[in-house]
Amino acid sequence: MLNRTRLLTAIVFALLLWAVVYPNLVVIGESVRGDGTVTVRHYAEFFGTPSELRALWSSAWISVATVLLSALIGVPLAFLFARYEFPGRRALGALAAMPVLLPPLVGVIAILFLYGESGIATRLVQVALGLNSPPWRLRGPGAILAVHAYSMYVYFYLFTLAGLARLDLAVLEAAASLGAGRLRTLTRVTLPLLTPALAGASLLTFMTSMASFSAPYVLGGGFRVMTTQIFNSKLQGETAMAMVETVMLAAVSLLVLWPLARWEGSRQYVAPGKGMAPLRVPLRSRWASVGVPSLAGLGVLLLVLPHLTLLLVSFVPDGTWTTQTLPPRYSLENYVELFAEARTFRPIVNSLLMASAATFIAVAIALAVGHLVVRRRVAGRRLLEGTLALPWALPGTVLAIALATTFSVDRPWTGRVVLVGTAWILVMAYVLRVLPLTGRAALAGFRQLDPSLEEAAASLGAGPWRTLRRITLPGLTPAIVAGASLAFVTGLGEFVASIVLYTHRTRPIAIEILSQLRDFDLGAAAAYGVLLMVLVAAAFMLGQRWIQAGKQAAD
Amino acid sequence: MSEQAFLELDRLTRIYAGTPAVHDLSLQVGEHEIVTLLGPSGCGKTTTLRIVAGFEQPDSGRVVLGGRDVTRVAPQKRGFGMVFQHYALFPHLSVGANVAFGLETAGLAKAEIGANVARALELVRLPGTEGRSVASLSGGQQQRVALARALAPEPQVLLLDEPLSNLDAALRERTRRELRALVKGIGITTIYVTHDQEEAFDLSDRIAVMRDGRLEQVGPAEELYHQPATEFVATFLGRAGQVEGVAASVRGDLVDCRLAEGVSWPALVPPSAQIEPGTPVRVLTRPEALTFAAHDAEGVLSGTVDETRFAGSVYVYTVTVEGGQLEIHARSAQARIGRRVGVRPLDPPRGVHAFVLSAAERV
Ligand SMILES: Nc1ncnc2c1ncn2[C@@H]1O[C@H](COP(=O)(O)OP(=O)(O)OP(=O)(O)O)[C@@H](O)[C@H]1O
Ligand SMILES: [Mg+2]
Repeated sequence: MLNRTRLLTAIVFALLLWAVVYPNLVVIGESVRGDGTVTVRHYAEFFGTPSELRALWSSAWISVATVLLSALIGVPLAFLFARYEFPGRRALGALAAMPVLLPPLVGVIAILFLYGESGIATRLVQVALGLNSPPWRLRGPGAILAVHAYSMYVYFYLFTLAGLARLDLAVLEAAASLGAGRLRTLTRVTLPLLTPALAGASLLTFMTSMASFSAPYVLGGGFRVMTTQIFNSKLQGETAMAMVETVMLAAVSLLVLWPLARWEGSRQYVAPGKGMAPLRVPLRSRWASVGVPSLAGLGVLLLVLPHLTLLLVSFVPDGTWTTQTLPPRYSLENYVELFAEARTFRPIVNSLLMASAATFIAVAIALAVGHLVVRRRVAGRRLLEGTLALPWALPGTVLAIALATTFSVDRPWTGRVVLVGTAWILVMAYVLRVLPLTGRAALAGFRQLDPSLEEAAASLGAGPWRTLRRITLPGLTPAIVAGASLAFVTGLGEFVASIVLYTHRTRPIAIEILSQLRDFDLGAAAAYGVLLMVLVAAAFMLGQRWIQAGKQAAD
Repeated sequence: MSEQAFLELDRLTRIYAGTPAVHDLSLQVGEHEIVTLLGPSGCGKTTTLRIVAGFEQPDSGRVVLGGRDVTRVAPQKRGFGMVFQHYALFPHLSVGANVAFGLETAGLAKAEIGANVARALELVRLPGTEGRSVASLSGGQQQRVALARALAPEPQVLLLDEPLSNLDAALRERTRRELRALVKGIGITTIYVTHDQEEAFDLSDRIAVMRDGRLEQVGPAEELYHQPATEFVATFLGRAGQVEGVAASVRGDLVDCRLAEGVSWPALVPPSAQIEPGTPVRVLTRPEALTFAAHDAEGVLSGTVDETRFAGSVYVYTVTVEGGQLEIHARSAQARIGRRVGVRPLDPPRGVHAFVLSAAERV
């Protein structure tokens, strides 16, 4: 038993070190490699080049601004839907999370179709005002920020909702009974108790924004952030500079992550009693009972407009929409083409297969780590847990560059083989990207699972396999399914790492969307986007269904 | 009740989804008095207390404080202190900051707040704990911090909702005596909510027994125990055996009840009872008011011993008789299971209460 545990620990450790840690070390090594010696020349060059420093600064301030803007939208929205009762609250509240259905690149092109230079909304406004040129241009930092806020306020919205649901009504009433009015209760009690949720959302938003590639790549124009800078250096063959930039981006991300994560951890309050969550109050005044639902409805409409636009454009045949405000013709042509031709169907198969494989592998690794860390409490469990979470702090571009660098040479004795050019390197990148998701889920699942259940099964004569199959895995199902559906969805729409690692044969959907866009076949790009959106929604829904069914069976 | 009502609950009604959680409830609490709302789970105690605190609006009725109607006054303006069942301490604030919270909202000066916090913590025997985190306290200590926090702003009324229910049995017993001494020492008007009868007995000046949103009876503990107004009060407070019979003759608040052939016991009836000869009744008996007798003696109910139990100071016997089951306390071991015995009241009519059977129960 003990030996088996040791063996498993050794295997998992080795695997994680090789796949997660080693490639990053290779990148660091490459960044200081001179002609047979170690050199800091490339770093000196980096710090001596204004455009490099500007890109680093841009990444940082865009991320901070994204956090603030997302919080400004998401937090009040969560309060509105959690605290007040008004007609249509349920439907609107669910719709408010719609941006999660759009993978990053799809969200960007949907917004492009809507607000871009020749976007529908842009043309409508131009016609309505009788202007000669578009009223605005979707370019530069402002456009990036808008797209970020649109896709990331959801983190604040969902985290705050969850935080508010955990609040104990009695604590708020205690404040009132001590004479505190609404504002005082909000600032002295509610908000401080929400800090873990807000810190978590800030962290996630900041990291996602630092790692964001699609928005700055498509909308940035001349405005560079670190991710696009790395991609460009790589494209132009400036390998050493790409390595330095990669290290710098990872370093800044980790530098912010570390203290914020610690601060978040120190603020986890355990409420002494379970208590009841605060009730929703009906909106009483005439103005509020009409105005708030209308405003909320309008806001939510704004949130789903990109989805609707994407759907609309997906019915536009190639080359039929030129100067008109709205597309003049609609047909199913794009969808038929998607499935009829091997060339266009290929990316769909690729994405489905690679996302499935990555999800499967990531879940397996996560389960092994969860078992070792929570159940067996092996030595070095903190390190194991940390390694699992590490890719979370590393932007997709960083991971991709690290993998591309490490697995482009054939030196098996140093652990490096040629994977570049195969589908496996994409699968590996996806696994790394989703490991933190499945890992978090598996660890939480194991921690919530009462070990005495497994002990009870053992005392009833069940062997380890039977216990695993009949007790442990069913108990973990909700957590695993939740983690797996997130992982699958992430893999399905993956773009950032793919663009560094794909070949024509292994290209995933997101890459195909980009190339259709380059060919100005907007309809086909949109059709792929809609397909992704539907697949993502289906994955989430099936996951939910599965979890619910499991819950009902347990009751 | 002492002199004139300080806090008055006037015909309060609160309806949830068609069913009343509190129904036409009126209660008067004198200044410095401790009144307990006692009743089984779900009878509406918490709802009543929350209406008094202002967290819940009654569908009808008023809350009056010192002659002023405060029904529509917001909780934060009422100046009522409250201790919650799970204490509801602010987990992100230290003990000192928790206790200071109400003083800060009242706008006291810094130095004054510090002194008051220290005084409040001393009062609950937790001096010098200002800097500790709430989570590091034991359940009993958290309860005391919650009390200190409620008392620090010197509220006019103190409301407590099962504040001891999360403590273990021994601590609960000790704490309730201390709590009474403390509250009486300050002289604050208090409403206390519990479903534990012993707690109510130990703590209260008067007890208001609730059932299904209504008040059954209000009075000092002795009165409720010795003169229960309803069968519910008689069974909810203390233990009682019961046997069915028929009223034979009525003399004021005394009724002779025929319980078996040739056996009739005098019993007390509530003043309001509509009773006349021939009315079917249920007779409730306190275990300490019964004694064993020869089973064929006159005026003695005969039955069989079903169960015996040693409870420390007394032996407890359960005796099944025709038409019911009685419980008897005895100082010494007196009978074995299965034995045929006789039972009679020690000092009739003390501890023997008759209630009219409801129409549904008369088969
Ligand atoms: N917010 C609410 N909505 C609907 N029904 C409620 C609500 N609050 C209480 N009730 C109902 O009102 C009744 C009285 O509840 P209350 O909490 O006052 O009882 P309680 O005497 O305090 O019980 P316990 O001893 O269990 O705390 C119960 O039937 C309860 O289900
Ligand atoms: Mg209650």
